[in-house]
Amino acid sequence: MSRKFLETESPAWVTEGLITAEQQQRLLARYPPEAVQAVGLLPLLGSILLLLSALSVVAANWQSLPTQVRLGLLLGSLVATYAGGEYFLRRGNRRVGHGLVGLGLVVFGVSIILTSQLYQLVGYDVSGLLAWVVVGILLSYLYESQALVLLPIVIGAAVQTYCTQALGTFSYATMGLVALGSGYRWWRRPDTIVASVLATGLLWQAALWVALSHAKITWFFIPAMLVYAAGDWHPQRPASRALQGPPLIAAYLFALGLALFGETDQYAGLLRPPVLAYLGALAAVFGLSVAGKRQRGRLASLPDWLLLLPGFYLPGGLPLAIATLVVLYAHAGSVLARAHRSGEAEQLTLGTVLFVVATMVAYFKLTWAFLDKSLFFLIGGVLLLGLSWYLRRRNAQRLAAGVATVAVGPATPPTPDKTPTA
Amino acid sequence: MPTRSTPSHRMLVRLLVAAQLLYVLGVAGAGYATTAYGQHIVLATSPVDLHSLQYESFVRLRYTIAEAPLTAWRGPTPPQRRQGVYVLLTTNADSLATVAGVYDAAPRPAPGQAVLRGWVTDVYNHSLGLRYNLERYYVPGDSPLRLGKTSPPVRVRVSIAPWGQARIESVRMFKPTASR
Repeated sequence: MSRKFLETESPAWVTEGLITAEQQQRLLARYPPEAVQAVGLLPLLGSILLLLSALSVVAANWQSLPTQVRLGLLLGSLVATYAGGEYFLRRGNRRVGHGLVGLGLVVFGVSIILTSQLYQLVGYDVSGLLAWVVVGILLSYLYESQALVLLPIVIGAAVQTYCTQALGTFSYATMGLVALGSGYRWWRRPDTIVASVLATGLLWQAALWVALSHAKITWFFIPAMLVYAAGDWHPQRPASRALQGPPLIAAYLFALGLALFGETDQYAGLLRPPVLAYLGALAAVFGLSVAGKRQRGRLASLPDWLLLLPGFYLPGGLPLAIATLVVLYAHAGSVLARAHRSGEAEQLTLGTVLFVVATMVAYFKLTWAFLDKSLFFLIGGVLLLGLSWYLRRRNAQRLAAGVATVAVGPATPPTPDKTPTA
Repeated sequence: MPTRSTPSHRMLVRLLVAAQLLYVLGVAGAGYATTAYGQHIVLATSPVDLHSLQYESFVRLRYTIAEAPLTAWRGPTPPQRRQGVYVLLTTNADSLATVAGVYDAAPRPAPGQAVLRGWVTDVYNHSLGLRYNLERYYVPGDSPLRLGKTSPPVRVRVSIAPWGQARIESVRMFKPTASR
């Protein structure tokens, strides 16, 4: 609750007799004004400005400085940022301390790059930058800071991007370091933000691998679903769902793309990897995922795998489009059913959105060619309005039932104001 | 797992910072070692555009060996864009290097030859475009290139270390009258 809100609202509470004047004073005392903190920012801003001025002086004269001086500047700032970080941590200022340690890690990477530039040195593999990832991961174990866990994941993605784009090779070491190093760090200290960023970073690297090796893009889903399966094994529910978010979104977008463009055999042909190898790998990952779900008692989320059904092996054309649509509907239905059972409002909204999207895709796909255009839009509008009315009613019933079971009383029909409509 | 600020924790942090310092020094050392132990070759370039020096600290070098005839390709499969290659260079009598062959696996250089690694940028009908990652030359503050007004061709001295790094050692303005 903000102090401002309390200040403006509490006099009315006193006059209405909700709280006494003394309670009002105690509430106000509990949330002191934050003016002191704003003053505390001034020295920070001042030092940032000083730092920027020093940085611009050095940057402007960088090429004319002697080599040794440049090297000394790099090493000096490296030591200084780490020492500063330790100093602030020892004084108990964790935010500034961790910030400086993170800055030290960035300075380390910059030093590697600028030093090799200093000697006009070219390496032909990524080993020079690999040290950056290694140090980042080690630091994430040494400090208890979310930012320091996120940093090596981002650095790993950047190094991999450089490696595939500039050097034309894929660095399995970088991928392994991030997956195992940062992955284990997350596993021990689960965190939803780290989980999402970790999954996204690994998916990014997997996508780079697919792009570089000219493999069929469906191979992307083997590493992606491995990330998903790892989430199944994690004991903590929210962190596990956060890790599974990015792979599921990727799989959903892929299925949607298949429904939209799959009927041209040319596109479907781009997706068909060798049957036995792909299905074997997918089945192995599936087995791993099922075993994890069973172990943690989460078999209800098994229909997530519907999105991975390899429908692209079907001959392109209408059969493929229809099969994909059926899968999309089944998936949306499974999400809705799960939401109804668990009573989570967010899942309910998600299921509704997925359902509406599947309906729209189906409608556009199947009727655009056959119907007169005015009729097409008319029926489409009526269909969506009807659907929105139906889903709204179901939601209302569902929430009313929830209210009725919680509190025995007159079940007023709630009107959900945020039912998604197309 | 993350620990509080204990003596052993502080020790680990110090070790890690020291390792980073040594690593950066090692990169610098690799620079010196490449010159000391590497094989030296001289590459010719087409005229260098010095205008970019007004906004950037580097110039782009376009080497004559950045283009090789497709007949120089020695590989079982046709070359692909962005593929990593090994370029076998012959050091001529005038000591300028020319492409003897482009390989997809490391060839064994004869005396008077050197191997420089690169990447295929383009595959044309009759030639290959190559990139060596040595195209960006960060011009030092005291270089005569900084005073130049015209676009001179330059001679670039490159050293190639036996362990597979390479560096630009020096860049000199090319004077056609000077005999080499």
